[in-house]
Amino acid sequence: MNSQLSTIITREYLERVKRKSFIISTILMPVFMVLLMALPALIAIFSTPEEKEIAVVDESGVIAKTLQNGDETKFVVTQATLADLTDNEDYYGVLVIGKDIVDNPSAVTLYTHSASSMQLENAIARQIKETVESIRLRRYNIENLSEILAAVNADVKLQTFRIDSDETSETSSTLSYFIGIIMSFMLYMFILLYGQMVMTSIIEEKNNRVLEIVVSSVKPSYLMLGKIIGIGLVAITQILIWAIIIMSFTFWVMPSLVAGIAGGADPEMMAALGLLGDGSYMLTLFVYLILFLVGGYLFYSSIYAAIGSAVDNIQDASQLQTFAVLPIIIGMVLAPSVVGDPMSSFATWVSIIPFTSPMVMMARIPFDIPVWQIITSLVLLYATFLFMIWLSAKIYRVGIFMYGKKPTIGELIRWARYK
Amino acid sequence: MDNNILKAENIVKTFTKHTALDDVTIEVPRGKVYGLLGPNGAGKTTLIRIINHITAPDSGTVTFNGHRLTAADVANIGYLPEERGLYKKMKVGDQAIFFARLKGLSKNDATRALKEWFERLEISSWWDRKVEELSKGMAQKVQFIVTVLHKPELLIFDEPFSGFDPINANVLKREILHLRDEGATVIFSTHNMASVEELCDNISLINKSHNILTGSVRELRREYSDNSFEFSFLGEQSKLEETLRPLVREMEGKGIDRDGFLSLSLKLNSGDDLREAIARANGAVDLRSFRQVLPSMDEIFIRSVEMFNQNNPQ
Repeated sequence: MNSQLSTIITREYLERVKRKSFIISTILMPVFMVLLMALPALIAIFSTPEEKEIAVVDESGVIAKTLQNGDETKFVVTQATLADLTDNEDYYGVLVIGKDIVDNPSAVTLYTHSASSMQLENAIARQIKETVESIRLRRYNIENLSEILAAVNADVKLQTFRIDSDETSETSSTLSYFIGIIMSFMLYMFILLYGQMVMTSIIEEKNNRVLEIVVSSVKPSYLMLGKIIGIGLVAITQILIWAIIIMSFTFWVMPSLVAGIAGGADPEMMAALGLLGDGSYMLTLFVYLILFLVGGYLFYSSIYAAIGSAVDNIQDASQLQTFAVLPIIIGMVLAPSVVGDPMSSFATWVSIIPFTSPMVMMARIPFDIPVWQIITSLVLLYATFLFMIWLSAKIYRVGIFMYGKKPTIGELIRWARYK
Repeated sequence: MDNNILKAENIVKTFTKHTALDDVTIEVPRGKVYGLLGPNGAGKTTLIRIINHITAPDSGTVTFNGHRLTAADVANIGYLPEERGLYKKMKVGDQAIFFARLKGLSKNDATRALKEWFERLEISSWWDRKVEELSKGMAQKVQFIVTVLHKPELLIFDEPFSGFDPINANVLKREILHLRDEGATVIFSTHNMASVEELCDNISLINKSHNILTGSVRELRREYSDNSFEFSFLGEQSKLEETLRPLVREMEGKGIDRDGFLSLSLKLNSGDDLREAIARANGAVDLRSFRQVLPSMDEIFIRSVEMFNQNNPQ
């Protein structure tokens, strides 16, 4: 490779990777995300819930003995009457069960000193319901009742299979939906973040006047290309670090996790965990992610580079920036509707046309779409990138020496035509 | 080989709204200091950028070392732009190595040469500091080193002394002349005419996109001489003035000079009258010295620009 180009790439890359802010955000981001997911569980573990004691006045005599204490509730069966207990603040509340509870399920009342919770009410109602139902069933004197009940109990979980692809693979649309949205969002975030980094860095060089020194040694197009590649490598470094963290989770933690909770969890959850624990599936997704990330980043960062070269400060850039930001956001906004119906012709088109293709295609990929569509999309994306960077280099070459007024789109096009 | 290291011939460069350079030709002799003068906005920076292969002229040719200027030649050129700039967050040493590598030096060669220069300009202690911690003058020193480090044959300095205190300006002047003595050619763009007289061998004056004056500083000053002389004498000034009056256009007593003589400055009607004037002065007073007063580059600059502007009204 050209040694000047590699010198520029090296500088752009090292200057960013060595920064504290990069190191911190790269390490903290996954930690932050894991924390966010684990937070509810952690709160549950570390906060000791106060136990609610509920006095039970059972006039029917059949319910009280079947009440099970929950995590937060403790039932205390008492012979006292409601009147005796209302002033006793030791109890959270008093549950009064009527004499004819079995025939009249409404004959149950909960008196509390403070507002009760929906959860508590539901828990109590469910327990009473089960007891009343089993008492009523027993009245029919059916033989082998418990066996029959066990045999009747059916737990329906829908499993879906794709039959149009070569190998019949188990898919879960809910899972694909979430993976699609997450991938699309990652692309959106990376392209916007790193594309803008290219722009601000060019504006900074222009303001610093360091640019003139560099271009007295190298061709302006080398500087632009070097900057785009250098910053792109920073993005890839960051995503690789994250991928390694996720992959190691997939390979070492996930299998034992799946084995550990096997049986107890519902099939949807199991399928999700199984997929995330499937190394080759994750690897395929990751390769696509990198391909579209790189293509999308190159495409948009060349637009950002042209904009950055044309203006003197960030404020002036905002208007021109719309040309880059708008399609990225459109792609991001389309993603949820596309994953809702990934095979529609609309979804197919917006995932193939550059501008929106990286975000939208990434959202569709988890749905096992035809490979030719992915390849077409990639080829088009990289081809338009080549055109875009050629055009941007022409604008950049002129723009970096223009100070003072904010150029219009018309002027940018005129610059591109300069010899 | 041609005695000129650089020739820019019939350069034309037009931007959308104005012509920056209109048929400008300059020839820079090897091993000399060449002044590129002109008012703000005259087109100097555009010409420098063309010489640096940063922008291309619309027409005209630039010849460097006998061949058409190519991108590869910039490795043989060092350029210090008027607007200085360095990467603020980068360490001084790393940054200098970066620029040296862009000019084609290996990392080891660059480091070695840099250490020498840093010691020479007494700034070794700055090596690991970030540029944003340096003062403006300090950053300029670093920038100067970066410009000359790769030992280019042609050096281009755009206003090199702005922002320097007199002591450091002198250090810089010394280094520039030293580089010239070692064989480098220097193009020197400035408004500071005193430094032109001091440093430049030849100049070109660019005004409103045209090269309106070219030549060696010594010859130009002689050529622009308006027959000004200064006489120092003992005796009566009125007597001297009276005897010289028919020969001069202007005359002005300058009082007593630092050697204790009276002094009179005058402008002769014609250079041919010099012998006659001396003879007359000799008869009238006790003449101690006389010398020709050459115009300063400042005067030449202003006179040429004004004359050009009068002849070419907008």
